[in-house]
Amino acid sequence: MRVSVVRSGGFAGLERRAEADSISDPMLSRLVGRVDLKSVPPPGRIPDQFLYEIDIDGDRTTVGEAQLHGALRELVHHVLGRAR
Amino acid sequence: MRCHIVPPHMLERIARDADDPALRARARRTLALTSAQFTERRMTAAGAPSPSEDFVPDRTINDAGHREELPGRTVRAEGAPATGDQTADRAYDWLGATFDFFETAFRRNSIDGAGLKMVSTVHYGDKYDNAFWNGEQMVYGDGDGTVFTDFTGPLDVTGHELTHGVTQYTANLEYYGQSGALNESMSDVFGSLIKQWHLAQTADRADWLIGQGLLAPGVDGVALRSMKEPGTAYDDPRLGKDPQPAHMDHYVDTHSDNGGVHINSGIPNHAFYLAATGIGGNAWEKAGRVWYDTLTGGSLATDVGFAGFAVATVQAATRLYGAEGVETKAVSKAWAGVGVPLEANG
Repeated sequence: MRVSVVRSGGFAGLERRAEADSISDPMLSRLVGRVDLKSVPPPGRIPDQFLYEIDIDGDRTTVGEAQLHGALRELVHHVLGRAR
Repeated sequence: MRCHIVPPHMLERIARDADDPALRARARRTLALTSAQFTERRMTAAGAPSPSEDFVPDRTINDAGHREELPGRTVRAEGAPATGDQTADRAYDWLGATFDFFETAFRRNSIDGAGLKMVSTVHYGDKYDNAFWNGEQMVYGDGDGTVFTDFTGPLDVTGHELTHGVTQYTANLEYYGQSGALNESMSDVFGSLIKQWHLAQTADRADWLIGQGLLAPGVDGVALRSMKEPGTAYDDPRLGKDPQPAHMDHYVDTHSDNGGVHINSGIPNHAFYLAATGIGGNAWEKAGRVWYDTLTGGSLATDVGFAGFAVATVQAATRLYGAEGVETKAVSKAWAGVGVPLEANG
């Protein structure tokens, strides 16, 4: 299982990307198991908010930071780490 | 998602006339969010102010206490003494400077032109590297301290965020693609003009940088964007290189960042710089007036592209200075300089 996260937007407009693979990251499957990408609302058009593009084995969605809660938030922060 | 069952005309009426202030505020918030996320919303200003009326700001600074929750605890209301927290007090002062700029330069009474309360939340999140406008207020992080410093620091950041509010209440430029890049550019243009006005700098003396002072010591960069030389603001191993183009030849097609709104804004940003320096003097007086009239004049489609916006600036300049005016010619030349055609069907 592979997960990639791209953070774009923000006042600075700086892109951050990171990837994780369950082969080398045993926590990943457990985090992904609690996430339902289909339940994520559209990101809205909030000026300068961070946008997160999340790809889980080819299933993709984009979420705005205002909607990044719960299990999905944990997954995004796990993959991006403290990378800012 | 928020609920939009109540039609906008009813919300407007509640926002204006309801007896209960909480109900009025709630209706206003819903309208603001509707406006931020959907198109074709224009708030009607409550009658034109008299030419001599002195507008007064109504500021509230809240402290999120490093949590990502809004609005946070109020630490300073309008007229209250300084809190002693530099961040909260700076946010208060910069809101005041931005309010004064829009009043002095354009006779605009706050964000909506009708005295809207200005609300900022500081200390948002843990080392949060961002500032944004959420449809009803400004939000600032402290920065991580190694790459970014406190987002309340530079005046133009506050100017940028507050101008997102002005755009929302006027042209309401859709935050995607070219109209989104124009929305971003409006915030950079007026953010820079507020700083130039505050420092009493003419166009040739201004730095034309956005977020100067926001990068921590040791980061290889001068700011986040340069309107004078887009693409040159930073080049650092942690940040990468400033990706902004200065010309349509280098327009970036991407789906990230709402279609590259923070990238392609370099093109209209540079056009404004060329117009302002071509005209000379204080940039907010002539070039700024042309852009302000274009933004607030009611003629722009919410999804206008660069070419349509460019034509509208030339029309605004023509109304102000005549078709043969040096100012109008400088505006036309500026768009040619960034490769945006001025065909009327743009």
